[in-house]
Amino acid sequence: MRKSLVWLLIIAALLALPMANAAAEPTQELIFALQNEPDGIDPSVTNNSFAAPFLFNVFEGLVTYDTADGSLIPGNAESWTVSEDGLTYTFTLREGLKWSDGSALTAKDYLYAFKRILTPATVAQYLGLVTDYVAGAQDYYDGTGSEEALGVKAPDDRTLVITLTAPAPYFLAILTMWTFDPVQQATVEANGERWTASPDTYVVNGPFKVSEINLGESVVLVKNPEYYDADKVKLEKITFRYITDMGTALMAYESGEVDGSRSFPPTDYARLRSGDNGLVIVPAYATTYYDINNAKAPYDNVLVRKALNLAIDRTSLIEDVIQTPATPAYTLIAPGYVVDGKDFVEGRSTFGLSPTADVEGARAALAEAGYPNGEGFPALQLSYYTNDTTKKTAEALAAMLSENLNITVEISNEDWAVYYNNIQAGNYDIGAMGWGADYLHPMTFLPLLKTGDPNNLVGYSNPAYDELVTKAQGETDPAAAVKLMQDAENIASAEYPLLNLFYRSNTMLLRPKVQGYLFDYSGNIYFKTAHITE
Amino acid sequence: MRAYILKRLLMMLVTLLLVTLLTFTLMHVVPGGPFTRDKQLPPSVLEALEKKYHLDDPLPKQFLDYLSGLLRFDLGPSFKYTGKTVNDFIESGFPYSGKLGLLTLVFVLLASIPMGILAALKNGRWQDMLLMGLATLGVTIPSFVIATGLLYVAAFRLGWVPTFGVEKWQGYILPVLALGGYSISFLARLMRSSLLEVMGQDYIRTARAKGLTETRVIVRHALRNALIPVVTVLGPTVAGLLTGSFVIEKIFAIPGMGAHFVNSVTQRDYTTIMGMTVFYAAFLISMVFLVDLFYCLIDPRIQYK
Repeated sequence: MRKSLVWLLIIAALLALPMANAAAEPTQELIFALQNEPDGIDPSVTNNSFAAPFLFNVFEGLVTYDTADGSLIPGNAESWTVSEDGLTYTFTLREGLKWSDGSALTAKDYLYAFKRILTPATVAQYLGLVTDYVAGAQDYYDGTGSEEALGVKAPDDRTLVITLTAPAPYFLAILTMWTFDPVQQATVEANGERWTASPDTYVVNGPFKVSEINLGESVVLVKNPEYYDADKVKLEKITFRYITDMGTALMAYESGEVDGSRSFPPTDYARLRSGDNGLVIVPAYATTYYDINNAKAPYDNVLVRKALNLAIDRTSLIEDVIQTPATPAYTLIAPGYVVDGKDFVEGRSTFGLSPTADVEGARAALAEAGYPNGEGFPALQLSYYTNDTTKKTAEALAAMLSENLNITVEISNEDWAVYYNNIQAGNYDIGAMGWGADYLHPMTFLPLLKTGDPNNLVGYSNPAYDELVTKAQGETDPAAAVKLMQDAENIASAEYPLLNLFYRSNTMLLRPKVQGYLFDYSGNIYFKTAHITE
Repeated sequence: MRAYILKRLLMMLVTLLLVTLLTFTLMHVVPGGPFTRDKQLPPSVLEALEKKYHLDDPLPKQFLDYLSGLLRFDLGPSFKYTGKTVNDFIESGFPYSGKLGLLTLVFVLLASIPMGILAALKNGRWQDMLLMGLATLGVTIPSFVIATGLLYVAAFRLGWVPTFGVEKWQGYILPVLALGGYSISFLARLMRSSLLEVMGQDYIRTARAKGLTETRVIVRHALRNALIPVVTVLGPTVAGLLTGSFVIEKIFAIPGMGAHFVNSVTQRDYTTIMGMTVFYAAFLISMVFLVDLFYCLIDPRIQYK
């Protein structure tokens, strides 16, 4: 009897051993909830930010971001040289790069992706990124330039040479965007537009590859063993599950059915902030503002625009209305770009603005503009696009403006498709807008106020500003470029071309047991080196 | 009868054609186009897009092209989702929406008809009050409130069922309850009032006078007639349930067709708007047709010539 008990104990101990091991080694699998399905996952075609969770994890370009600190590091290219005039970039690709189907990835694949983007039938939505910078690209697209004249060359399998139209010191940052990822000619040509529709034909080159696509439901990523840095990839499987309702996503997260969620209801922010539940907050390189129609009276008057800016209580907007982390914005360019350890915005003027409203100052400016106590000021049309958060901001803003300036404010809203057309046509007084940076460089913001730029929707025009921006675009020394850009921004900000409200933050939910990922200024998540710890 | 069916089929095609034409016209009248995105597209790309999707053709030609595609059951590519077709949306979404709808339908029928009968037979008594009180709540409370409430209590607080998805069979329970709430209440009320009306008819008195048992009076004579209004509304109800609900599918994260009905409109995804409308219209018309045929079975007086 006693003997058998001993045996039982031994057997129990043996059984417990592998179980203890299993507990120490957590499965490297993750379920992450996304609230939006992207309009496509073809890196050459889409400009849809909802594609980011996929494209930044299944593709990799010439350069990429270090998941530890967010700095630019070599990606598919192991090294590069830039010519003295800042025009020619020569990249050397890593040896033995492979596609997820095991075939070799060469500089020719990069060249093919460029040529594909520059083919009108591809309808590349980020076309401008290539035609604005790469020599001969616009002519090639228009059919007036030859391949010889195109500034992209692949002299051998491991060398890619890109020639620019003008020096652009931030070109490497632009290259991190998925538009510049390679695509495999064989699969694109064999399957046409539908090459992205099935895991078998969706050939990629990043840390992960797609193993399942369930329309409207989920996309499953698994580790890509052909990736050159596969040793560093710890996660075996990431399931991106579409849960479009933020409330449901939050419940799924809190009940433990998903490990993370890209969004949650803003009304739950205050509660989540106070607990230790994996709320991740990162400052965004993004600004929320209202366009002011600078071309239309009375908004063509600097004093009127100043009065509008002074009349806003930005702190109340952030704390009472949007209830998400943000900081008041007095100028367009968000903090985040650092050169020589100094942020671009350090020491920047506030242009007479403060976190709360300056009612007296606002009324004084309006009086000086010829509307004492708001008398004679035409009814202000405040437009916004249909969206819950935007609606709340618009209503609060309207109340502040009408109360603090004693003017009439009329609110109207429209679907984005109609709204955006109206703004483009200059058919508005002030309208909700915002800018999320595509790459971490002030130059992503500056063209918004440049004369003739398609994204300049406010009709602001100042030759001195335009000149400084053009100069900065060609300045190869980063410190000198910062000075030029700061000067340019100061000129514009003093004329209040926009109604800047706040600099946003990116937030998401992800369990603390997940470590080693990068959640960047654009809200992109890089899972390359992520792992589950407990 | 055969002539009648042929005539009806022809009428259905005409109706469908009119629906298609009307949707097409309305869609193009509404301002805004399918390619207004959060980021500005260069004019040359817009041009290429319009060319790719033949939006530069004259509208009558676009419509005829669409019709010819429709004849081949080709609903065209989505304008919003690159590389996906409207057929993809239906093929992937309908199995989910259809299964959920079918389960809900069974649940609705099993619950609402007995509820209505019981309320009618106990007219004015506490059972009637209770059931009709519940039914009034079911009609007046919006489904998203029911859905969110159920989700919070049964899935989140008690953990009985998953909070999202229908990967497990338990996932169907809450969506079926939330989706069926309105239909149950509506049908139960209809069943009750219809049965009450029939019970007051002369022939019921006759049946009773003949000395038939009360069960036999109700089942054989009253119920068959009382069911006719219920069967009438069943057609649209079935079509509505099986083609998916935007709200319910969103709240429970079910990858059905419901989302496309709403999103395609705000995104001006022309082909998807057309495809969803035509699919729903065809479904609805077929259901109404089936209901009309079904009348013959329950009421021998109804004959089609």
